[in-house]
Amino acid sequence: MRRPLTFTHSLGIRHLVCGSCNGCEHEMNALTSPQYDITAEGWDVVASPRHADVVTVTGPMTDAMRDAARATLDAAAQPCIVVAIGDCATGDGPWAGAPQAGAGAGVELGAAISVSGCPPDPRAIRAGLAEAARRLREPSGGA
Amino acid sequence: MNGYAEFAVDVDALHDAVARACVALEPLGAFADGDAVRYLFAGPAGVTALRCGRDDPQRTYRAAAGSVPLFDWHEREMRDAGGVAIADLPNPRASFADADGAPPALTVEGKGVSVIVVGPVHAGIIEPGRFTFSTGGETVIHLDVQLSYSRRGVERFLAGRDAVGAAPAVARICAACSAARSWAYARALEELAGVTCDERAEWARVVIAELERIYNHLFDLASVAAGAGYGYGQTHGLALKERVHQVCAAATGHRLLFDAIVPGGVRTGVVRDPRIVAAALGSLRADTAAYLDALFANRSVLSRFTGTGHLSVETARAFGATGPARRACGAAIDMRRLQPYGAYCDAAPAASCEAAGDVAARCRVKAAELADSFDLVERALRELGDAAPPPPAPLRSRSGAITTVVEGARGAESVSLSCDRRGRLTAIHVTSASYRNWPVVVRAMEGNIVPDFPLVNKSFNLCYACADR
Repeated sequence: MRRPLTFTHSLGIRHLVCGSCNGCEHEMNALTSPQYDITAEGWDVVASPRHADVVTVTGPMTDAMRDAARATLDAAAQPCIVVAIGDCATGDGPWAGAPQAGAGAGVELGAAISVSGCPPDPRAIRAGLAEAARRLREPSGGA
Repeated sequence: MNGYAEFAVDVDALHDAVARACVALEPLGAFADGDAVRYLFAGPAGVTALRCGRDDPQRTYRAAAGSVPLFDWHEREMRDAGGVAIADLPNPRASFADADGAPPALTVEGKGVSVIVVGPVHAGIIEPGRFTFSTGGETVIHLDVQLSYSRRGVERFLAGRDAVGAAPAVARICAACSAARSWAYARALEELAGVTCDERAEWARVVIAELERIYNHLFDLASVAAGAGYGYGQTHGLALKERVHQVCAAATGHRLLFDAIVPGGVRTGVVRDPRIVAAALGSLRADTAAYLDALFANRSVLSRFTGTGHLSVETARAFGATGPARRACGAAIDMRRLQPYGAYCDAAPAASCEAAGDVAARCRVKAAELADSFDLVERALRELGDAAPPPPAPLRSRSGAITTVVEGARGAESVSLSCDRRGRLTAIHVTSASYRNWPVVVRAMEGNIVPDFPLVNKSFNLCYACADR
């Protein structure tokens, strides 16, 4: 089924921090600066997982965040694509296997798209989000 | 190079010795490793530790937090993470959230009191934490801050590692204070090894540390503007911050300065051509000055800053405020000046102070420090001339325990560590400026309205990752 063209480009992005050092957050925040301004794409960081097409996840996952992270994903409307941002989320960061850390937020939460880097450059994050937008435009809705 | 001195104190005398030291010196906190409990202080001679050995596992320590509130978080963490028995804790709640959730929040009960719980997941690009507001109408009676959702267990994870080899991990404990922490860590290993860094490497470190301060202060001001509903101030501030990250990349190859400061100096290639850094800076200083002029010339915005999130000088001291949060309450305390290190021995900036202790005062302190930081970057680039710093000095490991402290963007950043003879970390403890400042965010919110929380909170703009570890 084709969706109306006017609604196929916007992207609601919910960001979920799971033990990140905040480096990936600085680069996510850069996307809202005038130099990268994602609102020009019709993309926005949304205040509720209910409004999200994409959930970006960072960090190795921590014991204290695991339940809240799962509840956030469960609350998201479908289709929703999980994008792992940064080496910690993909399981390649310095804290994978630390006493209160997991294997990577993206690994644990089933990320469909991964953006590597410590932290990734804002352009790389933008490319990952563009890939999510492309998959959501497919008839299968990214499933 | 200033030093580190440890004084052994008997358990019965510890409580009084800590109280006395708090009068003469600047308290930095306390921590426990497997061998000892240490209370830390900064002064002109460097860092002083009062050390009480843990040879008797049955020993109970008397909490200092009852008379000196700033030790509250430190002593509860000693108990919960270090297994130290502590009596008379004024606030005995558990320190950490875990897989079963956070400990119960401290709330106000009574007629007309409403409780609002926010977090740990927030609406925005923000680290996790749980904030519980007890309110009467819109006014906050008490704010309870519960962090530790980003607790990875990094200190236990690093124990046993080669100390020099662990530097990249230390740089990644927390991003926004990475350079400051890398510097404190490098100084600790250098002082243990008895190595003095090359002078050019020390000037390159000033470039790196001050760029970190510049991007953080600009981010704080942009975030405060957002908290006050001033879109131009937010957008313009974020644009300037992004330009600083591009300078950071030109200077060090990393937009957030990770791994630029390493044990023994700076990583090879960092500030390899000071002229490239100067060119990358371009009109950033002038544009920042114009931005600050516009921000403080807006009377409506200024009125939203003024009187909001007030902190008294007594509260700031009692609860351990550090950095701009402390200097905005009139205390001229800056680790670069109190106990100069590296090239700050020749170039310690004036500690910029304001008296009012409100959001406006914290913003004015940061505005003045932005000018000082640009001065320092320009001075350091002049000192470097056209020559690259040499490769980092090799460090021959030597066993011992040490604490070093540097002035990060948010205040005193300290690293305490001990090494064995083979140069492996036997223990490491990180106490960040954010950890020191979180208790005063709570105090600054009292009597303010709930919708001003973003404004008050962002006037401190503290990290979570280094507080949680």
